[in-house]
Amino acid sequence: MLKIHHIVKHFGRIAALKDINLEVARGEFFGLLGPNGAGKSTLMNIIVGYLKPDAGSVSVDDRMMVYESMEMRSNIGYVPQEIALYQELSAIDNLKIFGSIFELSGKKLQTKIDEVLELVQLSDRKKDTVKTFSGGMKRRLNLAASIMHNPPLILCDEPTVGVDPQSRNAIFDMLKHLNESGKTVVYTTHYMEEAERLCSRMAIIDNGTIITKGTLSQLLENLDQQKSVKLLKNISDEQLTQVKQIGNIIEHEFHFELIPDETHSKLSEIFSKIESININPEEIALTRASLEDVFLHMTGRSMRD
Amino acid sequence: MKTVLLLIRKDFLRFKADTAAIVLTFIVPIILILIFGNIFGGGGGSRGKINVIFVNESESKIAKTIEAKLDSSDNIRPVKYYIDDKPREKVYYNEERAKSAVEAGIFRAALVFPTDFISDTSSSLNIKFYYDPSNEIEISLIQGSVQKLVMSEVPALLPYLFRKQINKQIGKAEAGNFQSRLTGLIGKFFDVNPDSISLLSDSEDAVLNTSVNKADNPISNLIKFDSVQLVGKEVANPGVTRIVGGWAIMFLLFSLTGAAMSLFEEKTEGTLKRLLCMPVQRSQILWSKYIWSMSLGVVQLSVMFIFAWLVFDVDIFANFLNLAIVIISSAAAAVSFGMIITSFAKSLNQANGISTLLILVISALGGSWFPVSLLPDWMQVISKGTITYWSVEAFLQVLWRGANFSTIAPHVMVLLSTAFIANFYSLLRFRKGKVF
Ligand SMILES: Nc1ncnc2c1ncn2[C@@H]1O[C@H](COP(=O)(O)OP(=O)(O)OP(=O)(O)O)[C@@H](O)[C@H]1O
Ligand SMILES: [Mg+2]
Repeated sequence: MLKIHHIVKHFGRIAALKDINLEVARGEFFGLLGPNGAGKSTLMNIIVGYLKPDAGSVSVDDRMMVYESMEMRSNIGYVPQEIALYQELSAIDNLKIFGSIFELSGKKLQTKIDEVLELVQLSDRKKDTVKTFSGGMKRRLNLAASIMHNPPLILCDEPTVGVDPQSRNAIFDMLKHLNESGKTVVYTTHYMEEAERLCSRMAIIDNGTIITKGTLSQLLENLDQQKSVKLLKNISDEQLTQVKQIGNIIEHEFHFELIPDETHSKLSEIFSKIESININPEEIALTRASLEDVFLHMTGRSMRD
Repeated sequence: MKTVLLLIRKDFLRFKADTAAIVLTFIVPIILILIFGNIFGGGGGSRGKINVIFVNESESKIAKTIEAKLDSSDNIRPVKYYIDDKPREKVYYNEERAKSAVEAGIFRAALVFPTDFISDTSSSLNIKFYYDPSNEIEISLIQGSVQKLVMSEVPALLPYLFRKQINKQIGKAEAGNFQSRLTGLIGKFFDVNPDSISLLSDSEDAVLNTSVNKADNPISNLIKFDSVQLVGKEVANPGVTRIVGGWAIMFLLFSLTGAAMSLFEEKTEGTLKRLLCMPVQRSQILWSKYIWSMSLGVVQLSVMFIFAWLVFDVDIFANFLNLAIVIISSAAAAVSFGMIITSFAKSLNQANGISTLLILVISALGGSWFPVSLLPDWMQVISKGTITYWSVEAFLQVLWRGANFSTIAPHVMVLLSTAFIANFYSLLRFRKGKVF
């Protein structure tokens, strides 16, 4: 469906994207994960033909995306990272404006508007001006405005930033629904949990480079260690030194994370060691390795740094 | 083209939702035209009179006559007394009180006819005028009105003052002799009764009587002051006609620069980018902005002129086609002004600041607020570099002189070519992509 081939993009001296290669198959829910400034939005802008890459090419359905050409635009529904709506106008007027650009009109336009408003659960607020909406409602309308033309490929650039959990779930459900009805979704985020929860396949991008890609289990497979132990911070220094014999300790804000060495692969063994150091077992939690660990492993940094 | 129309409709929807823009585009200019129209032209109600202290200490009948005329003047309301608090009673102004009232800033001017308004020792009228020059326009208005009143008495006054001069030079008796010999001579020559000829009377009554019947008096015929208005003869309301074009073009610049600058708003709102990620071209966005702004400008100007027609009787239909041409070319020039500022500015704030400053300067220089002829010569040269000048002049030509197209063609050419060049430059700038 979507092929990204050796894309390079510089902004002055900043290398925003360095040789990006990606393929997204039809019907996939593809995640593009990366910290702030990684180059996610830049890549999205190039895919929709808004920005011109310095080198490389993008093709959708084996047709070349040409910068500023109108031809491919109606195949893509691009949800910008910013709320891009006419704040002074009502939800319905916004949808009318953006829908009509895609040659929708009259009854067809009206039906489509009702349909997407239903989908983003804003039907009861359709006559209100956008500026009276909450952040989450604006986000949902922002999404609705991008899918009026029923595009086969949907690009979502961080659609859950600044959104309450309820709206966030509504957006997830919506995107899942769209994906299940056959649409290909590319979803950027810097929330690992979102990618884990939604995406069938993903790529992690950092500093303009794709550092790894694959399904969730493929990514986790690459990790040396798939389990870690969570310890509360109320343990003594002496206990801490002893724990360190089991494996590496990473200090988090509210807890320590113990990543056992390869020699301690058996869970039962790890538990009995911890018990022998006299740490209350109730303060022990087992966590499975996450994308966070993948990122940490690949870059030596935490995602939120 | 369809996309452009859709984008124009979008701009219309946005404008409709923007109360501030509507008020600035239509309501504020109408209110200002109403205020200034009333000052300079008199609309539905008559213009307010200017209060001037008036003291008449002279016993002269001529002074009394002028006082009566002042009382019924359209421009001046003579104030002769004030009410004192303790005891509560009218206090008539005298010269001293009048002076201190002007000095204290209670009134801006005082007109005094002193006891020696007409004296035997002087052959001229003695009038005193005290004023505070803080409002020059008002002072010249007062002076002008008083002069007009006095001058209207001149044909009768002149021989009277002349006779006084003769009395002073050769003595009263000798002057009487001279007078009767002169009338005798004239009577003989023209074959009329010498007694019916009143040439140089030294009685005030004679002056006042002659003024009733000026036309028959040979001497009053000596000064024939025929003022004939040559231009704008049929203009019902010249004052408003002058100002309406000026105010209209200034607000046109404000509203259309605003419309062009909405590109910035759309950029910060992100909607510009959204449109550009849809099947919309940059050029289509620019065209829609241009056509929308033009239409808004034409509607705005039309509303203002229709208003001037309804309220002030400004005749907009006598030369309607040419008026329409000037309206359209002014709107074109104003849009291009907004576009070029938008294309050069780096942010909405910067564009706002620059445009406000520039519009105020070119409105002052170009004759929006007052006639350019009041400016010093070198500034008048600069005036010609502003679109306001050409637009205001063209409106004047059309509404005031009833000019035909060949007269306004140069103005229209200047406006349209300015629009063309400015648009060309802004297009180049937009291509470089500072706004987009
Ligand atoms: N228009 C631009 N001009 C200059 N530099 C830019 C521009 N757009 C992006 N960049 C730079 O390119 C890099 C990648 O930015 P990008 O917006 O793609 O990151 P992102 O992954 O979307 O980050 P975020 O999660 O914060 O949205 C950053 O260093 C950014 O400063
Ligand atoms: Mg981004």
